[in-house]
Amino acid sequence: MSRYSFAPRIAALALVSLLSQGIAQAAPSLAGFWLVEGNHDTLTDDKGKLPPMTAEARKRYNAAVAARKVGKYTGDTLTKCLPHGLPRLLGAPYPIEVLEEKKQITFLHEVHHMPRLVYLGEKLPPIDDLDGNFMGLSVGNWNGDTLVIDSAGFNDLTTLDKAGIPHSTEMVLQERMKLIDGGQRLENVITVTDPQTFTKPWSYRLTFKRMPNDYWLKEFACTDKNPDA
Amino acid sequence: MILRFTAAALLAATCLVPALADAQQANGALYRPAPKLPEPKYRDQYSSMKDQRDLSGVWFIRDYNRRFRTPINTLPPLTPFGKVEFDKRVKAETDGAPMADASTHCWPHGIPRVMNSPYPIQIIQSPGKISIVHEVGHNIRQIRMDVPMPEKVPTSFLGYSVGHWEGNTLVIETKGTDTRTWIDEEGIIHSDQLYTIERIRKVENGENLENEVTMIDPVFFTRPWVKKINYAWRPDLRISEYICEENNRNAPQNGVTVAK
Repeated sequence: MSRYSFAPRIAALALVSLLSQGIAQAAPSLAGFWLVEGNHDTLTDDKGKLPPMTAEARKRYNAAVAARKVGKYTGDTLTKCLPHGLPRLLGAPYPIEVLEEKKQITFLHEVHHMPRLVYLGEKLPPIDDLDGNFMGLSVGNWNGDTLVIDSAGFNDLTTLDKAGIPHSTEMVLQERMKLIDGGQRLENVITVTDPQTFTKPWSYRLTFKRMPNDYWLKEFACTDKNPDA
Repeated sequence: MILRFTAAALLAATCLVPALADAQQANGALYRPAPKLPEPKYRDQYSSMKDQRDLSGVWFIRDYNRRFRTPINTLPPLTPFGKVEFDKRVKAETDGAPMADASTHCWPHGIPRVMNSPYPIQIIQSPGKISIVHEVGHNIRQIRMDVPMPEKVPTSFLGYSVGHWEGNTLVIETKGTDTRTWIDEEGIIHSDQLYTIERIRKVENGENLENEVTMIDPVFFTRPWVKKINYAWRPDLRISEYICEENNRNAPQNGVTVAK
């Protein structure tokens, strides 16, 4: 093989590499309407097991489950029309509208009419600089075809699921969102890190199906007709 | 022009002091100081100053007053029935047992009431729609662009809004606003016939958003009337979390609010 024959090959390789880079750099559009698949009242990790709770967290969880069995559970914020908080909101069985702008991705949750504003291209400030609230602060960065959202700055009034997995104000979330099935579904792999509650970081996966683009979010006034009261 | 100036001066003089007090009292809201110009580093982040039809970004009301008045600071042209209902609400508040509107219950505030809140709003423009995310709880406005207003619209707290551009003015028409919402916070209310037309445009080189609100409701008003609301462009602000239900001291009992 003559050494000259490499030149077109190198050129072709360069072209392929450029093209694939181009594809990787153009972030896919998550805009549209999404509805979570499955029921997420009881969260488990990616192996189908309860997350690795500390002894103290496990005690609180068991107490919540026992109290719910006898109808005396009071730890569910939804019954008071308070927000789900993150990450519980992500698995709520209501449509989500995604709006994309250059510097912000907005998730409008039909339930509670809760907006979630994700600021793109930013880093999370130190957790001590954040207000502790229900939704925390979320920043997003594209990594190839995956939108990586980091969130922190939560209060500890909510649970991760309906069953009652607790969390502390030190909880940090990382979501990895990407389109699957040719853009007809959306995958979100959520990693929960909270040394106060869990012995190690753990992950679970939610999938969403695309809804028709002509959907309009319905009005939601919890204190008018609370479905969870 | 002179008349306009006099009216503006009158309005400013009579509204400024009560407006400050109102903002501090409004539903536990903290009074926010008068907006200053955004830091230069934020300027290009959202709204383009050049594109008159790009309203996207965070805006904050400039001339908040809990009372709706006409541009010459008079009460709207109330029908006798409208005046009775207005007086009833003013008296109830003076007597220390104010009547509850939708916002008191943590319901969406209604149109045009939600456009007159002492909280930031964020406008997001996408193909075929304009979304307005209000910091004040549970208010996400959705405006369907370039479609006709249907003959019959479903009733909802924020009503059914359609919009179109007339030049560089965004015109939003709204019908079907739930009668449990009020027009202002003092006692101007409406019937199920309320028809609101908002004419929104950028002025002052894009630093100010002007909303000229026309309200038509033959049950409450003898003729259409107009209220102007201005918003400052505030790319230095972000929409914060607002939880109405958390320690809501205004939650009414038997329709009457007794703030504790």
